[in-house]
Amino acid sequence: MKDLITVASFTIKDMIKRKSFIISMIIILVLIVVGFNIPNILNKVKGDSKLGTSKILLVDKENIFEGTLDSLNQGDSLYKFDVLLENLDNEQIKEKVKNGEYDCSLIFTKTETGVTIEYIVESVVSFGEIPKEVLESFSMLYTNVQISKLDLSIEELQSLRTNFEVKVTETDENAASGNSLVTMLLSLALFMGIHFFAFQVSSSITTEKTSRIMETLITSTSPKTIVVGKTIGAGVVGLLQILIIGITAVISAIVFLPEGALNGILDISNVTPIFAIVTVVYFILGYFLFAFLYALTGSTVSKPEDINSANSPIGFIEVAGFYLAYFAMINPSSKINILASILPISSPFSMPFRMMLGTATTSQIITSLIVLIITIILIAKISIKIYSSAILNYGTKLNFKDMIKIYSSKE
Amino acid sequence: MGLEVKNVTKTYGEKTVVDSISFNMQKSGVFGLLGTNGAGKTTTIRMILGIIKKDSGKITWNEKQVERKYVNFGYLPEERGIYPKTKIYDQLMYFAKLKGMNKQDADKSIKYWLKRLQLEEYTYMLAEKLSKGNQQKVQFITAVMHDPELIVLDEPFSGLDPVNTEILKGVMIELINKGKYIIMSSHQMSTIEEFCTELIILNKGKTVLQGNLNEIKNSYKANKIEVETLQNIEEIIKQADLEIIFAKENSYEIKVNSEEQGYNLYNMLAQSNIKVNRFEIKKPSLHDIFIEKVGASK
Repeated sequence: MKDLITVASFTIKDMIKRKSFIISMIIILVLIVVGFNIPNILNKVKGDSKLGTSKILLVDKENIFEGTLDSLNQGDSLYKFDVLLENLDNEQIKEKVKNGEYDCSLIFTKTETGVTIEYIVESVVSFGEIPKEVLESFSMLYTNVQISKLDLSIEELQSLRTNFEVKVTETDENAASGNSLVTMLLSLALFMGIHFFAFQVSSSITTEKTSRIMETLITSTSPKTIVVGKTIGAGVVGLLQILIIGITAVISAIVFLPEGALNGILDISNVTPIFAIVTVVYFILGYFLFAFLYALTGSTVSKPEDINSANSPIGFIEVAGFYLAYFAMINPSSKINILASILPISSPFSMPFRMMLGTATTSQIITSLIVLIITIILIAKISIKIYSSAILNYGTKLNFKDMIKIYSSKE
Repeated sequence: MGLEVKNVTKTYGEKTVVDSISFNMQKSGVFGLLGTNGAGKTTTIRMILGIIKKDSGKITWNEKQVERKYVNFGYLPEERGIYPKTKIYDQLMYFAKLKGMNKQDADKSIKYWLKRLQLEEYTYMLAEKLSKGNQQKVQFITAVMHDPELIVLDEPFSGLDPVNTEILKGVMIELINKGKYIIMSSHQMSTIEEFCTELIILNKGKTVLQGNLNEIKNSYKANKIEVETLQNIEEIIKQADLEIIFAKENSYEIKVNSEEQGYNLYNMLAQSNIKVNRFEIKKPSLHDIFIEKVGASK
């Protein structure tokens, strides 16, 4: 146990002290912060009304809206409206847009058929058309003004403003609920995280073979301790990295995005503490499964240039598992979901998705976890045995036949 | 107390790389493992330390298997290996901990050995920045820093410059004086002669000679005389009916079949009033014995 902690902590220190790790981490964090700032940056550079708070001058010389335009500023909005009732000529208004006091101006004129809006903007190409929701707001306000002139009773007004409420009844008892975008992003993040950090184990083992340190190492501790310790170490670094990325993303979203900007896009109402814990468990187990497989392939090569070709079969299994989970996600009520969430190569990507949609039963979750744990134990046993023999092979890459021979050889 | 290797064999496919070798190491000191390239030295060492499994035979330390739980051993492999991107102190601390040392003892030992092998200035430097010789010394520290009772050194002097060779020789003497059991494999016969008391010579996996170095050497008759004189003595050598192996100015290497022939030549030189700076009757060196034995078996 002491050796296991020593190997794991050495792996952690070795990974986080590497320049490549520090630089890639800084790049990722900078990209996250910049990514969440894109709306602000574009707003400042381009003045894009669709992406940030834009100042719009509304000119209602004829008082068509009868003083109701100010109500547009109530509540959260990406637009700040200033209403002008005085008689400015068009040149003066154009000057206000040109000198940046306003992003654009809308001048309302009553005609026989309705209302004409003159749109004064520096460039339609860079600022865009009048946003649809702004036009709808004007239409609504104008309708209300006109209705109020009809002197209708409250009942008559209510009958004109009918709300349409939707009540959903699903015939499938196991039908999916929740936001599929969040779950798909989660599955993708799990896949990327598991792949990236499991791959590190393979790379670390091959590096030790390349640097010829292996013989010193295996006379200092057991092969089992090395493989498991390295796997734990790389996994801890992975979790740490994901945690830092996650925290940076959340803080960036809170600090840089306008309030409520992600509402409706990312609905995390289904994320319960139990769901979060089980997802982390699946991440860890999925990571262990693929890390042991990558440890096996890493021990079969002795040149860094051979790592990719040795790892490609494992990469193929990993991608196959992810796509199986993905196809299941596209059709959440299909039976393929059960297969994807129990098969060990796909369950780490599929089961969290099903749990979030509320389609996984407790027995399925337990079965999936048991199958995954048994598979990890078996793979670890095979990996450690092959690793113990293959690490001193400094010749050509071992093929599948060689590995079977090693595994079936006596102690 | 000691190491016993009995009828140990290892085969890879059809090829027998170690063929039923046996030896004992009952006293502390240096045991020499000699052989040509591919003779089976490294395979034997790896089997002793349990890195690879033997096919048959028995290897014990104090009648127990050579495992870390039964014996505290240190190993310098033939393949020089180091973590290139890790600081010297950090990697030594890593191995010290794996060998069961606590942080305080490890720190003390690492600092002692870095100073002893004149590596102090590299303590916090990345290993890749060190010369090969210095990297080798770092790896030597890995083998001895935990004060092991059994030390296995596979070609410890290869690749070292004369200064570092002398430093390492000094350390070897210290270890011998501390009563350590050392198994040393080497191609450098002079090093083996300097340190070893017992040895085994392997060729193609088979034992061609083994035993106490002095006894082995004493079992051979004198075969050579080395003479340095102030005059040319070629005529006298011819009169003594001896063959010159090598001559340079007034230094001669002369082939003899017995010590008597040497004494006879010495008397002849004295009678001829030849001024002799050096006269040495020599028995075969380990190098000669090695060539004879390995050459004969080929």
